[in-house]
Amino acid sequence: MRALLGRDRFAQGRHRPGLSERGISEALSELLGRFRYPVTYVLLSCVCLVGMTLRRDPHPLGWGSSAILALTLPLERMVALPVREVRDLWHEYVDLVGVRERNEILAARVHRLEEENLRFREAMVSVERLQRLTGFRDRRDLPMVAANVVGRDLSAWFRSVIIDQGETAGIRPGMAVITDAGVVGVVSGTTRGAAKILSIVDPQSRVDAYIQRSRAGGMVRGASSDEVYFDYALREEDVRIGDRLLTSGLGAVYPKGILVGQVSRVESQPYGLFQKVFVEPAVDLGKLEQVFVILEKRDLPDPEEFAAPDENLFTGFTDAVAEAPADISVAAEPPPGGTMR
Amino acid sequence: MIPLVRLAGLGLVSLLAQVLLAELPRSLRPDLVLVFALGMGLLGRPLVGLWLAFGFGFAMDVLSGSPLGLFALLRGTACALTRLLDRALFLRGSIPWAVYVAAWVTLDTLLMAGVLHVFTRASAPGSEQILALLPARVPLTALLAVPLLPVFLRFGSKAERDGLLPSLSPHGPRSRP
Repeated sequence: MRALLGRDRFAQGRHRPGLSERGISEALSELLGRFRYPVTYVLLSCVCLVGMTLRRDPHPLGWGSSAILALTLPLERMVALPVREVRDLWHEYVDLVGVRERNEILAARVHRLEEENLRFREAMVSVERLQRLTGFRDRRDLPMVAANVVGRDLSAWFRSVIIDQGETAGIRPGMAVITDAGVVGVVSGTTRGAAKILSIVDPQSRVDAYIQRSRAGGMVRGASSDEVYFDYALREEDVRIGDRLLTSGLGAVYPKGILVGQVSRVESQPYGLFQKVFVEPAVDLGKLEQVFVILEKRDLPDPEEFAAPDENLFTGFTDAVAEAPADISVAAEPPPGGTMR
Repeated sequence: MIPLVRLAGLGLVSLLAQVLLAELPRSLRPDLVLVFALGMGLLGRPLVGLWLAFGFGFAMDVLSGSPLGLFALLRGTACALTRLLDRALFLRGSIPWAVYVAAWVTLDTLLMAGVLHVFTRASAPGSEQILALLPARVPLTALLAVPLLPVFLRFGSKAERDGLLPSLSPHGPRSRP
């Protein structure tokens, strides 16, 4: 304890004059000097606690974080690149056992998918025609920017990735990140040249989604493992293994209809409101190399604007009552001893 | 200044080694930044060690998806407690050091699960996940920490010769020449 508090100086036989001989400021500075280790620890801990509590929403990273990223990312890429190259070399040239059989299976699957594709194209033509008729605009023409994954999460607890595009490419915190396979996550922090992505498997992630087949709604929740949970699926909802989950478009991040994953397990219990649904994400985050950031931040409607039609309706109604003939306003009051009809 | 640069370099090497280890499955991933923070508690310059432990914890925060400050707080606390317990537990021997690191990895895992529970409520890892992470991570981190101990002690030895580090001898700290 003496070592921590810096009291070893007592043992070194220094002469310390009494408080009465010194000014208060001198005494204070000496006191701080003596306890500077615990004081520094407490101050730094307070800064960390405040940082953890205040900045939980997606936000641009500060100068300190930007400097650390700017310093470490090139080094990180330099260190990680040979490892990934060796891993790719192994997977692409050495580890080819069973490739012939897999090739045959895939060829048969391609044939089947081509037939399916033909049918879908027909359906799409019909849908397009209907959309034109109803004046519906296709919202999938979203502006996107491609980015490479340059860093993975160092800890065993969180599941974020770092990409090589940032604010200069128009990326802002809160934007959705996808690949051709499905949802990756949301931009949680940005610097000028890089951005941090909170993936859907991170324990801090939540995505509102629904099951494509049965339209059952719920929320996909990350759990720091390779699987994610589909929460709030009612027990009576029809959920089966292999069902595809799509984003619902509710909330301010993801557009509607992007694939989140497939149901891998369902644990229905005889009690409780909800069933436990496990989902395998559509995107393999361990092999993620390139992503697309949707450069459109979906803002929720302003509460005042949102309330305006109702307010108008209400004021319109009160105006109408005020301007109404006397017999109607009298009729609006309940008759004595009875209920108003 | 030069020892500080050397120590910062050592921290950077631990961080980059952690980048390499990030390719391993999560249950097999030792925590070298934690070992670095614990090693900073053994230094003859306690404040430098504390700042570096917080600093590299913060770097870990930036490079991972944690709430900003979480790893800094945990690594700083690890450093401060190591300084407190250094003499009491004879941490400068290989075996006590390895056991201490193993205990810290376990404690760190439990602390992290607790903090995640506070921050993310339902998504905090359950006992199954914690138990799955521990068996390989704890011995691997402890094993990697053993060869790093002489490095930390070497960095601290110059300061110890200068009388800035509390001595391990039972007669108390040596006085300045």
